[in-house]
Order: sequence, then structure tokens, then C-alpha cells
Amino acid sequence: MDVSDGPAIVIGEGENEQENGEDAPQQNGETENGMSAEALAAVEELKEEMDNIVLEPPVIDFAPTQFLEDFPLPYRENDNKERLVLAYAENFRLQYVHLYRDRKPLFLNPLNECNTEKFVCTTIRPTLLPFHELYNFDGCAELVADYVTFEAMESPIELPKTMVSPATVLKRQKGNCFEMSTLLCSLLLGAGYDAYVVCGYATRECTLRDETRDICPLLKKKDEVKTETEKKEVKKYTVKPPKDLRSKFILKQEGRKEEEKEREIQEKRNEEKAKQEELEKPPADDLFGLRIHSWVLVLAGKREVPENFFIEPLTGNSYATTHDAFLGIESIWNNNNYWVNMQDCSNGCKDLVFDLGDCVRWEYMFPSNDKPILDIPDVDDDGLDAFDEDEEDVEKHLDMPPSWVEPLSLTLKEYQTRCPQGKKTVLYKRAKLEKFAHYLNKDGLITRLSMYHDRELTDLVQVKEWFSNRNDKLDLRVTNHRTGQVTEYYKQGRTRHLKEQTYKAISPGPESDRTQIFYNNARVDGLTKREETPLAMTEHFTDRDDFLFYRHVVFGRRQKKLEPAGSLPSSNPRPIVKIIERFHRNKAKSADEDVAERIFLIAEDRIHLTFHHEDGKITASVREFIKPPNANDKGAILTYSPDMTSTFQVDPHKKPAKNLYLYNMLVELVSQEEKSVHGVRDSEEEVREILNDRKLEEEESELDISVYDTERNEKAKQHRIERERQQLEEKKRREEMELDYLAPFLAQIGDPEKLTRQEAIKLKEDCLSDLKQRLIDKANLIQSRFEKETAELQKKQQWYQQNQVNMQKDDEEEYMEYCSEAMFRINILQLRLNRHKEMAPMKYMALEQKLRTDGRLSEFF
Amino acid sequence: MNMHFSTLTTLTVSQYSVVQYCCLSGSNFDVAYSKRFSRVGFLKTHHCTKMSRLYDTVAPSVIDEKLLLKAIDEQGPKEEAGRIAKEEETEFADIIALRLDFKNILKIDNLWEFTSLVKLQLDNNIIEKIEGLDSLVNLVWLDLSFNNIEVIENLDKLTKLEDLTLYNNRISVIENMDTLTRLHVLSIGNNNLSSLDNLIYLRKFKNLQTINLSGNPFCDEAKYKLFVVAHIPSLVYLDFRLIDENTKTAAKEQYRYAIEELVADETSAENKRLELEAAETEFNKQMAAYVENLDGPQLFESLFTDDPEAQKLASLPGVDELLNTYKEKMVAICQQVFSFGLQEHEKRQKEVSEFYACVEEAKKENKEMGVTKIADFDKYRKKCLADLTLISDSKVMDSKLGEYDEETSKLWDILMGYELQLVDQLEDTIKDFERSLADMVSNFVEHVQGLISQVRDLENIHHEKVLEIAISTLEKYVKNELDDELSEELKMLLVDKDTITSAVSASHDVHLLKIDNREDDIIQRANGWMASLMERIHQEEEVVRNRDRVKEINNFIDNLKEEVRNLELPGMQ
Repeated sequence: MDVSDGPAIVIGEGENEQENGEDAPQQNGETENGMSAEALAAVEELKEEMDNIVLEPPVIDFAPTQFLEDFPLPYRENDNKERLVLAYAENFRLQYVHLYRDRKPLFLNPLNECNTEKFVCTTIRPTLLPFHELYNFDGCAELVADYVTFEAMESPIELPKTMVSPATVLKRQKGNCFEMSTLLCSLLLGAGYDAYVVCGYATRECTLRDETRDICPLLKKKDEVKTETEKKEVKKYTVKPPKDLRSKFILKQEGRKEEEKEREIQEKRNEEKAKQEELEKPPADDLFGLRIHSWVLVLAGKREVPENFFIEPLTGNSYATTHDAFLGIESIWNNNNYWVNMQDCSNGCKDLVFDLGDCVRWEYMFPSNDKPILDIPDVDDDGLDAFDEDEEDVEKHLDMPPSWVEPLSLTLKEYQTRCPQGKKTVLYKRAKLEKFAHYLNKDGLITRLSMYHDRELTDLVQVKEWFSNRNDKLDLRVTNHRTGQVTEYYKQGRTRHLKEQTYKAISPGPESDRTQIFYNNARVDGLTKREETPLAMTEHFTDRDDFLFYRHVVFGRRQKKLEPAGSLPSSNPRPIVKIIERFHRNKAKSADEDVAERIFLIAEDRIHLTFHHEDGKITASVREFIKPPNANDKGAILTYSPDMTSTFQVDPHKKPAKNLYLYNMLVELVSQEEKSVHGVRDSEEEVREILNDRKLEEEESELDISVYDTERNEKAKQHRIERERQQLEEKKRREEMELDYLAPFLAQIGDPEKLTRQEAIKLKEDCLSDLKQRLIDKANLIQSRFEKETAELQKKQQWYQQNQVNMQKDDEEEYMEYCSEAMFRINILQLRLNRHKEMAPMKYMALEQKLRTDGRLSEFF
Repeated sequence: MNMHFSTLTTLTVSQYSVVQYCCLSGSNFDVAYSKRFSRVGFLKTHHCTKMSRLYDTVAPSVIDEKLLLKAIDEQGPKEEAGRIAKEEETEFADIIALRLDFKNILKIDNLWEFTSLVKLQLDNNIIEKIEGLDSLVNLVWLDLSFNNIEVIENLDKLTKLEDLTLYNNRISVIENMDTLTRLHVLSIGNNNLSSLDNLIYLRKFKNLQTINLSGNPFCDEAKYKLFVVAHIPSLVYLDFRLIDENTKTAAKEQYRYAIEELVADETSAENKRLELEAAETEFNKQMAAYVENLDGPQLFESLFTDDPEAQKLASLPGVDELLNTYKEKMVAICQQVFSFGLQEHEKRQKEVSEFYACVEEAKKENKEMGVTKIADFDKYRKKCLADLTLISDSKVMDSKLGEYDEETSKLWDILMGYELQLVDQLEDTIKDFERSLADMVSNFVEHVQGLISQVRDLENIHHEKVLEIAISTLEKYVKNELDDELSEELKMLLVDKDTITSAVSASHDVHLLKIDNREDDIIQRANGWMASLMERIHQEEEVVRNRDRVKEINNFIDNLKEEVRNLELPGMQ
């Protein structure tokens, strides 16, 4: 809503209230009308009194104080080259003063934070910060405007004595216009723009960052894309319009009258506008044209910039070079050179030509790079290039020393916090804009725009609040304080796919005025919009299989019933008076059978059907049923008689429908009615549930944190820490698992803290001999087993030979089996022994090696 | 075992059939379902031969009115609906489902009246021949199981058929089902099918998902299952069981080459069909443009087909070359006619479609005007009627009624005014259209005439040249100066000057006649098309439409007046 047409709103509101009074006197009309004029006056008075009480919170300086010693050396001292440049600049200044006695002094070498003279060009430090928004000029400008708090200069018409480095500005988050433009210029140069710091003159509003006369950029109407109403194409055989039988003369006269009226209205409007503008003009400024200001100039050419433009670092807005706020330019510079404007600025900056190669218009300081505009972009370093050229010259020119400023840096957190303390308030014409950092407010508020009717910002009209990262997907809430209407916009992803909701702030509950818009493509029932008033509900659908697109319900008043307090509203639903349902044409049916509108007059027990128009017909068939008296009994068989229905058929010659067909239709309709009633109740229930959900969400207002956001996502953080801890434990356990082969021997000598050489040698020998013994023991063990097995086999063989004669077949088989098994065992043992013999020396060597490198013994070997 | 099988049967079939039952017969679903359930179970336990013996004992019955009425009565709506149905005369044309099972019917007859029948059950009868079903074009479900049918026939008209049950009959070949493209379920178990190759016939049914073949002789063959699965690609259920993936892959593997061959044959046949179709549409287009057979030497050749003299004359020395150049030139002109004709045809089509678009637009606009007017009136009417019921004073009532009457007449005036306006508009437009169409056609005709007269010139030149050659040849022949031997036929002509001249002229006349005929044909058809089109437009867009609308308005207004007159108002007494 446009703020400027405040009066219209007032009128509209009055009407609205009257209407409300008629519609729902039981709600609020009585209370408001009942209030006496005296009471109102008293309230007004109270309001005024309250307005007079203004709190001024104390301002705390949050900037950390830095001591001189904390700064690095280049901040405190000038090296030789810098000194040379300063001398050069001084020389330039002297000549300039000599030649142009009546011109203002140049801004060349202010003191820095350590009271050291520094040349302005070396204060610029081109930097590209690692945030993708900062690759474009508007992102940079916004950051500088938000991140740095503007401090006015001591004197509005004198050049400042000091200018601190951009790095310090970032740290302190404070700076004057020169410091801010230097910072912005550094960022822009880093991003590849052809940017310059400008020293010049601007209007009072501009220099003091007074935007109260500007319309808030958020309120500026975007260029509405005019959807041209497609002109009806005149085809060859398009029929001629019917003859106009009205008198042309009268028409003309009427047209003239109308025109006149319109003109009058237009004139009145213009007059009012002019008056308003006159009123809003700022008071005259005594120092007009003298106020010193600094801003940034971006020249066309690099980064596909089509035209030169200015960026105001205080607000972050960009302007054309012909803008009224900029009154003149004294000099401009970047990290390579310094130019003095030689053009007449009596007409502001409107006539200036920014051809820096033209030395009649722009007097340069360093001859080295006189044509910065004509530089071919693919040359990496302008300075180097210029230097090369100089070498060819007979004279050797001075080139710019590197910047003395520390590298600029911003952490992600600092970048996201943006404004100091994460908050910023800007006043505009009849509007107040508050910005907050993400996650700063518990409810996710990031921007609040309050619009007022007057310029003193007391009469609130509308508040727009933008939210981010909210769990309930709330994106924007618009509160109209005049009409009391609240509109909430949601992003996609809510459980019931709500997109937009408008309601009155005084009646947020169900069964009140309310409009809900849904993401219909996500909903199964294709609901797009639901409008409610206390006694009616309208629903719109799209793309439904049953062709339903509209349902309107009229409710009756609730019957007063004695109810236990706090019972659910669903236990006593509002009676439904009628339901109107409309359907799109279903081409599969004939028009005579395809219902276009179905009205259930529930209160009257009637059902009214209107069918679709047949192609080329202007009338539609109609049928009406009177519901049989027992229709509402569940399970009852409907009675029917032909006089319960009446009809109008478009085609009079068509056979009247059969009673059986009509009866079936009636049965179907009765069940449809029940379904529709169900649908309505479901919708009511849904509204109630949505409102409940909203209430809960509003109370909780938890913010969503992306899983990729490692800083904020507490859960992920804890998980990570937990995992690290687990890994550590795992490692520890594994270390413990590894057996200490020296432990028993160390225990023998009483676990000494430190070993002597002798002890160490003994320890080693003991260890090795122990291993040797064990290896031999093992070999012996295998051997003994082998022998035992062989002996047993031999015994068995003997027994077999002896008893072979009188042996059963079974026994023989058993014997054979035993033999093969024994042989297998013997073989295995043999193999094992062989392998052991092979492995034993290796094991011994390995232990020896290990002992030699063991931490406790290695120092002795 | 039997119980288990029957359950399975019913369940798989019911995947489709239950839905059918539900939508078709609503209330008697339960009965039908249980009947089917028990039937299958019962029949698996008893062998079919026992069954027919059982029925043989009763005399065969005939489908007559009594039988039909009884069936309808039994199966029709129940309760209140039944009462209503009984009060009215039931028309056979309204019935959508009919069950005539266990009736011992021998011959399908007297069903021609049931034109909207969707479901017909004739199972468990002794029918021997499929017949008398041609008028039941809406049939979706046909059950002829447990009969004595031997041949599948006379099903060509039932194009909507989706479910066909021929279980337990004596069929030995699957055939004569080409038009049943929507077939979804086919049950042809317990028959005499013995050739597996016969099943390839079922490939053409792209929707066939369920088939029952069990109990046929070929089921004993080892390769039966894989063969069926491989050759009917759309199949999902075979013999009441879901075909699993393994079987499918195995079948595919085993019959890969055979199937590939089949597919190749089918695609080539399909391509051929498409080609033919395309050629036919192209020819139809040329026909519509009246220039068919003019894009080649067809006309030229037709000149000489019925001309016996020309063939003789062609052997005259030098005529050969003459004919060649003649042909070339004529074909060039014919092609000009051809392309011009197509071009003009397109133009005319565009003109016609544009005309119709405009007419439709005008009608639509007019309709909308009428509809909004009627909607406005409807609002007034409702309010008025509501008011009337409240008024008790007869004077006020009379004035109110008078007002209503006036409003109604006013509405009539307005609607008729709209109609008149539309009539005027359409008349103008149609006149315009007629004029420009006539221009177009006459243009076309003139141009074609010009081109054809060029052909005629060519013919004249050709004729002269031939005559020249003929006479000179005659002279030479007479003087015996000819080197080449001449054919006997030609010699017959080279008698004297008159003979040869008349022969040449006769040929020439034939040619000219043919050319004239072709020209007349084009012109006549073009003019005829235009005349019939204009006739149709006048009739449809002017006369019929106007009458319909006037009738509609009068009917509507009469109805409005009637309604008020019939109101029983409290104030009337």
C-alpha cells in the first residue's frame, strides 16, 4: 500500500468498520460504538502523554581500543619510497596551490591511526573477500553501508585531518565518508571494477546520511511489466460488430463532459501534489555546495559496466553521475594515481566528462599511467605495465609504492552479523527500516519495515516483517494497523501447504474473516484458496479429477445449547444452510448429464442441479429434487414419488428421464450431499488445525539450521565432537591392546623408572633367550606328539597283522579308516614342524629388531 | 487341494472381475461373487462330462420374452428402486447387465434389443454356436463358459470386449477375434486346443494380461508354459498365477530367436501398412485437390491407351522422337497443374478453416451474451419467486406477476435481438466468404484451363507434325523410296492420302477428347465442391442454427411463464 494516500485509507477504514458493524455486531461493533467521545478524547490524551516519554538508551562504545604499539611497523613509519612519494605529492601540492590560488586544498596525505602521514593512494588496498555476494558492486556497497557505522566529520566544510586504514575501519566498524569510500573502493578494485575514491561536495542530506526525504527502496514500486491486453486479431471473416444506433452527437457531448471532469480531477491532484512537495522540501542550507563529501566513482569498461556511475558508501545506493545530490568534484584517486578535476562544477557533476586520459580536464599526479581507461584489461598489473613504459622513456618516473595497509579480512561470522551488533535502523520518508542479522532474533526476524502516514513517524500504517530460517516457513508478515489485517506469507514445505493467510488481528481464531491461499499443486485435493467469513466459507480448487472447482458454504447461527465449558467446537458445529458446488465441463458426459452447479439447500431439504450448456445453446437444463423425508436416517431406504422432482429440459422433444434413473440419481445425490457436508466439516477442522499449529509454532518459534551450517548447528557440532571423542577412545584402546613384550621382564626387576645399560642388556638377553626357549619347547612338543602318533599306529599295525586271519569285514574297514586318519595327523604334524623350523629364526630376528628399536631400550643400542 | 485351487482362482480372476462386478451391478455383487466362487470350486471337483449329462436330461429351452423378463426381474434393482422399476415398463435397451446361466439354452437368440448391455453371462448352458450378438456393441464382459461351442466366430462387432470367457467348451482353434483389440482377460481353459503355434495369434492383443489355458491338450507338453510366456509379451497372469520374473527371463532366453523373427516380421508388416496408409492419404489429398495422377506421365499415357491408330502411327519414321519431346513437354505442364492444384487446395482449406473459426468465435460471443443475460434474469426470478410466496395481498400479487411477465417478455425480446444480430452478422460473413471462395475457384479453374489449353496446343502441333510425316511417308511409300521395312498394319494405312489423314485425325480426336474430359473433370469437381460447401453452410449455419435457437428461446420463455402459472401461491386464493 502506498503511504502517501493515507487519507484514502482512513475513509476506507471507516467504511469497513461500518460494514463490520452491520455484518457482525456481536463482535466488535458494540464495544467501539459504545465508547463515549469523552473516553476517546481521554485515550488520545493518554496516547500523547505516552508519546512524550521517550527513552534514550545510553550509547556504549563497543570498539576495542587499540594501542599504538599494536599496529605493525608500516603503520607507524614511512619507508624510503613512501617518503619519496610524499615529497612528490608535496611538490605537486605546492605547484597546484601556486597555479590555482583560489581553489581548495587537495586531500593528499592525511594522518593515519598512528599519526603518520600517508599518501591517500597507498591507503587503498584492493581485496577480494571470499563471499560470493562481494563479487558484485551492489553487494560490496551494501556490506560497507551495513557493516560500518557512519560518523560525521568534525567540520562539514573542512577536509579531515586523519584517515584510518580500511583494515582498522573494518575492525572498529566506524568511519567517516572518506574512510568508508576508501574501504569500498578497495573491495571494488579487488573485484575487478574500475573504481575511484572521489573527494568533492554534496548536499547536506547526502553528507549526513539523512534519508528521511527518500522513499525507502523497498517501497519503490518495481517497474510493473505491463501485460498488454492482446488486441483482438481482426481476421478476415470476423463478424462485424452490431450497428451502433446511438446518436453520435450526444456521445460526443458526453465524452467532452467526461473529459472535462477528468481534467479537473487531474488538476486538483497535481495541485495537491505540488503543495505536498513544497511542504516536504528540506529547509535551505547555508552551507550548500561547501559540504565536503567522499564517494566512489565506477567507470565503464571493466566488469561489463556499461556506464559510469557513483556509489554512495554511506547508504550503499548507486546513482547516475548526473544525480542532484553530488555538487562537485575536487579530485579522484585509486591505488595507481591521483587526478585533479579541472572542469567547471557550477552545474554539479552533470557536465563532467570522466575521460581521465584528457589532461585538460583531469590533471594527473603521476605521469606513469596517464591512460587508465584505455588499459587493455588482460594486462595483469597496471603498475607494472606503466613501469615498463617508463623505462623506455628517458626520464624515470616514480611509481606507486605498495599499500601500507594490513590485508583486509572478515570472518564468516562477522560477515553474517553485518551491522554492528547485528542491528541497523534507517529512517526514510514516512518509513523506518530495521535490519537484523540472521539468527540474531529468536523469531528469525531479519527485516522490519514500518510505514507511517506522517513524516514524524508517529502514525503507524503498516508494518512488514521479513523472517528467515523459520521452522514454520513464515517468510513475510504484513500488518496493516489501519484495517487491523494481518497477512502472512509462507514458503513451500508446510504440512498443509499454506501459502498465504490474511486475517484480522483482533479475531485470530476460527470462524472469522480469513483468507487462505495454498500451494495447490502440493495438495491432494487441489485446494487453491479458502475464504471465510463468520457465516460463510468459499473454497476454490484446481485440477481435480471430479472437475469440482468451487464450493461455497453458508452457515447458520449456532443454536444456543447448554454445554459443558471448554468442550470442543466440533461438538456443536455450525448448522449448514446450503452448499453450492460448481464443476467444470466433463467432456466424457453429454452436457445434459454433466452437472455444472449443484446446490444442496440443506435447510430446505432440497437439491438443485444446473447442467452444463450444450455447445451453441444459451439455456441449460435444470433439475430440482425434494429430499425424501427419511433421507437423513442412516441406512433407511429412500422413498420416492415422481412429484419430488421437477425439471426444465433444453430440448423439449427429448424423452423425459425414467423414474428409475431419477431415483438412482437422487440416491447418489443424497450420498453426495453427505460427502460434501463431510468435506465442509473437514475443511473447518483443517482451519482449526492450521490455526492451532500456527499458535504452537508462534510460541516455539524455533529456527531452522542448515545441516551444512557447522557453526550454528548444535546437533551436528555435538555429533562431531562425540565422534572425535570416540575416535580418541578407540585409539587409546587399541594402544592398550598391543601387548608389551617387555612387561614381564621389567616386572622381574621391579618396574624401574629408568633402565641402566646393564639392566637393558640383561633385559634384552632375557627376552631373547626366553623366546628361544619357547620356540624350542614348541618344536619339542610337536615332535613328541608326532612320535606318540607313530607309536600308536605301529601298535595298531602289529595288532592287525596278528589278527588279520580271523577278522570281520567291519573290523577291517574300521582299521583302514583309522590308518588313513592317523597318517593324515602324522603328515600334519610333520608339516607343522617343518614350518616351525623355518619360522623360528625369523621370529627371533623380528623380536631382536623390535627390542633394538623399542623406546625403552633403544638408547643403549 | 480343490478348495485351495478354487480360492486362488477366484482371487486372481477377481483382480479384474471384482471391479467389473462392482461397477456394473452394484447390489447384486455379493450374490454374483459367491456364485462364481462356488461354481469354480464345484466344477473342478466334478468333471464336465458329468455336468452336461446332468443337463441333458432336461429339454433345451429357448430365449424368449418370458425367460428374459424373469431374469430381468430377478436381477434388477431391489427394494424401493425395484418398486419403481416395476411400475414403469422396463426397456431392454436400458439393461446393462444380464445373467442367463443354468438355463439349458441351446441357441443364443432374441438379444438384439439389449443394445446397451455391458455384461452378459450365458455360462452353463448347452450353446453350440456363437451367434446373435452382433447388436450388443457395448459389451465389455462376455461369459460363455461351460457350453458346447466348437468354433470362435461372430464376435467381430463386439469391439469393446475386454473380458471373454470360453472356459470348458470344445474349441480347437483360437481365431476370428481380430477386432477385439481391447481384450484384457481371456479364459479358454478346458477346451480342445492342441497346437501351441495357434497361440501366436494372441500376440496382436496388446492389452491381454490374463489368460487361462489349463486343461487343454497342449498343456501336457513340456514347453507349454515357457512357450506361452515367451510368445504373449503382455501377459501378467497365466492360469490364475502371476508369472514370476524367472519364468519370464527363462522363456525369453529359450525362445529368443523365434521371437526375434516374429518381431521382425511384425514390424516389417507394420511398416508396410504404414507406408500404404501414407500413400493413400497422399492420394486422397491429391484427389481433394482434383489433380491426382498429374504428377507424372499418366495423362500422356492415358492418351494412347485407347487409341489403336496411335500405336500404328508410332512406327512411322521420326514419330518416335516426336513422341518423346511431346511427352516431355506435356509432363512438364501436367506437373505445373499438379503443383498449382495442391497449392490452391491448401489455400482453400485455409480459407475454409479461417471462416469456420470466425463463425465459431461469433457464435461463442453471442452465446456468452445470452448466457449472462439469462443468468441475470435467473437472479431476478429467484428473488421474485421468493417475494411472491410472502405476499398475501392479491392486488400486490397481481402487479408483481404482471411485472414478472413483463420482465420475461423483455428477456425474450433481448434474446431474440441477439439472435437477429447474429443472423445478420453471419449472413454478411457468409456472403463475403462465398464471394472470395468463388473468386478462388474461378481463378483456379482459369489457370488450369490455360495450362490445359497449352496441352491442347501441344497436341495440335504434334498432330500436324505426325500428319506431315505420314503424308511424306505415304509419298515415299508410293514412290517406293522407303528404306525400312514397314509393319503390315502400317501398310494397311498407307493406302492413300485419305486413309492416312483420317487415321491421324482419329487419333488426334481421341487425344483431344481425353484432354477435354480431364479438364471438365477438374472444373466440375471444383465447382461441385464449392456449391455443396456453400449449400451446407447456408443450411447449417443459417437455417438450422437459427431455427434451433428460436425454438430454444421460445421453449425457455414458455417454461418460465408456465412455472409461475403453476405456482401455488398463498395470495391467489
